[in-house]
Amino acid sequence: MKIEVDPLARVEGEGGIEVEIEGNQVREVKFNLFEGPRFFESFIKGMHYEKVPDVMRRICAICTCSHSMASVKAVEDALGVKVSRQTELLRDLLIHGEMVESHALHVFALALPDFLGFPSVVHMAQKYPKEVKGALQLKKAGNLVHNLLTGREVHGMNERVGGFATVPSEEDLKRIKQAMEMTREFALLSVKLFSSFQLPDAPKSENTFIAVDPGKRFGYFGLRHAASDGASWDVHDYRKYIQETTVKHSRAKHSSYKGKPFMVGALARLKLFGDRLEGEAKELFKEHQSKLDYSNSISNNLAQAIELVHSVDRCISDVEELLSLGLKKEKPVEVKPRAGTGTASVEAPRGTLIHSYRFDAKGRVVWADVITPTAMNAANVDKDFRVAAPRLVGNQKELERVLEIIARAYDPCISCATHLVRVKRV
Amino acid sequence: MKPKVGIFGFTGCAGDQLMILNLEDELLDLVGALDLKSFTMASSAVEESDYDVAFVEGSITTPKQKQKLEEIRRRAKLLVAIGDCAAWGGVQASCNGILKVEEKMREVYGSDKVWEIYESKPLSAYVKVDFVLPGCPIEKEEFLRAAASLLRGDLPEAVDYPVCVECKLRENGCLMLEGKLCLGPLTVGGCRARCPSLGVDCIGCRGVIEGEARIKSALQVFREAGFKPDYVRARLRMFAANYPEILEVK
Repeated sequence: MKIEVDPLARVEGEGGIEVEIEGNQVREVKFNLFEGPRFFESFIKGMHYEKVPDVMRRICAICTCSHSMASVKAVEDALGVKVSRQTELLRDLLIHGEMVESHALHVFALALPDFLGFPSVVHMAQKYPKEVKGALQLKKAGNLVHNLLTGREVHGMNERVGGFATVPSEEDLKRIKQAMEMTREFALLSVKLFSSFQLPDAPKSENTFIAVDPGKRFGYFGLRHAASDGASWDVHDYRKYIQETTVKHSRAKHSSYKGKPFMVGALARLKLFGDRLEGEAKELFKEHQSKLDYSNSISNNLAQAIELVHSVDRCISDVEELLSLGLKKEKPVEVKPRAGTGTASVEAPRGTLIHSYRFDAKGRVVWADVITPTAMNAANVDKDFRVAAPRLVGNQKELERVLEIIARAYDPCISCATHLVRVKRV
Repeated sequence: MKPKVGIFGFTGCAGDQLMILNLEDELLDLVGALDLKSFTMASSAVEESDYDVAFVEGSITTPKQKQKLEEIRRRAKLLVAIGDCAAWGGVQASCNGILKVEEKMREVYGSDKVWEIYESKPLSAYVKVDFVLPGCPIEKEEFLRAAASLLRGDLPEAVDYPVCVECKLRENGCLMLEGKLCLGPLTVGGCRARCPSLGVDCIGCRGVIEGEARIKSALQVFREAGFKPDYVRARLRMFAANYPEILEVK
């Protein structure tokens, strides 16, 4: 018997789940990623450095700002560009704004319907109108950061190599702070909800985690990667630690660390750096320790909810810091093209993202490499499936339901990933 | 009876479907007014159905997608391409005619025989498209206005003027005079000249104005302004490589 979930709904992308069962044995189980490939690393060659982020941010819509930031920072790394403190703070605000938008969408609209038994957030709204409307306003607050800092919600243009083409106004920043303060209660609600659910325990198995080391304060930028086995490395050395192989059932290459699958994302970040959270997010992290089961990948939903609180508060504190420093109407730093290689890694909502480029003396791309979080997670999803499927083999409906919840908990990216389970007799 | 609607995505970043979900203030009313038969990005409730309107994002790059698109066409009274991938093939088409799919696959995946993949083409290469909502991504207000017309059975009015018109209305200085290569003169307006207003030259994400854009004259202007042919070609190809006159540019 062959069970197929195709397409898997409520994820970003085209994919599916395939389980082959013989008698009472699970013969094979796979997370299929069927999104048509686009070959960004190939067609970007020859592109002038200044336009590279404009193309590369289009790898993904939901994490467009993460791609934008990884791309801009990799270019700056290659060309030796140093940006101002104001630019750094605006970028920190931007990536936290994206986390609010993306996590609000995933936690409330994509993951929550599974736990409350609805097919979609719209169906859910009929029973919980106030909560759904509030969640949408929280998502909108995240989008307001995109709008005011990059020019629009998806694929903004204002964030450039060297800084921002136009610096937002003080009024803009105050609007962001106000929107975050008004919708903060819904971030708290997400923690309350996801800490109250009993998770399916079928995928329980050991996880290895990797994340970008944010330095002293919890966050999404950094210069080093860290792994849960205690290892850490400069992001420039990522190829020595993260191996990629092509597998037939997935158009995302599979990644491994020391020969084994690993997990990236909110759960990885909390596991490795949760003790660096601040304020109420830190309290919530401590309070829900027993609910954050690091051997159950579905805990990623609760980890995202805690990050939602962190990210809302950080947007507010970044605005306060920017306003207290006084906004300067500065232009992006002047850049001189030169030959060289640059690498940057940032934490996208769904996990570690790496961009690496090599340029010729005129500043044109001669080589590019991008590893997305969904590609890094794909092998770990397969691992969870292999653990979970035999535990559920007697109950087909439950098997399909739980495998979907597992895949969705990773918040796979529409464009880096996925699609539902249908049964085919073979 | 509520109009039956399907929203579908093929190869792309899902940014146009995301722009629909970004209608935070209108989403629940919008969806309430429709009989939404399929929107897998947002809902696992999918029904086999005919559609009054099918909105389709993404370019077609696999045999399975081509088949699915043809099925949607058969079932839909009106088929609307949303976003640059559906309209022109998207950024992934930017090396069409220069770099073969097999070469790209070998480079990225280590072998050219992993899957059967097509060169990225717009929907119109395979089926009749009734209306195009351009952009990378689409403008959500434009989507709402278009949806309102379509659901009454009318085709919306397409934007037929370039980005420059809106740029002038916003009283921006011309970025070409600042030494930047701006694609505003060739590109479909409707974005309120967002990027030039921020001081960033237009990269053409809303596609070329079909039949109106003077590619040859633009080439001359860009080259006279000192831009190198390979730079100009790469810029023109970013969002509209499948436009015949652009495909020919050497």
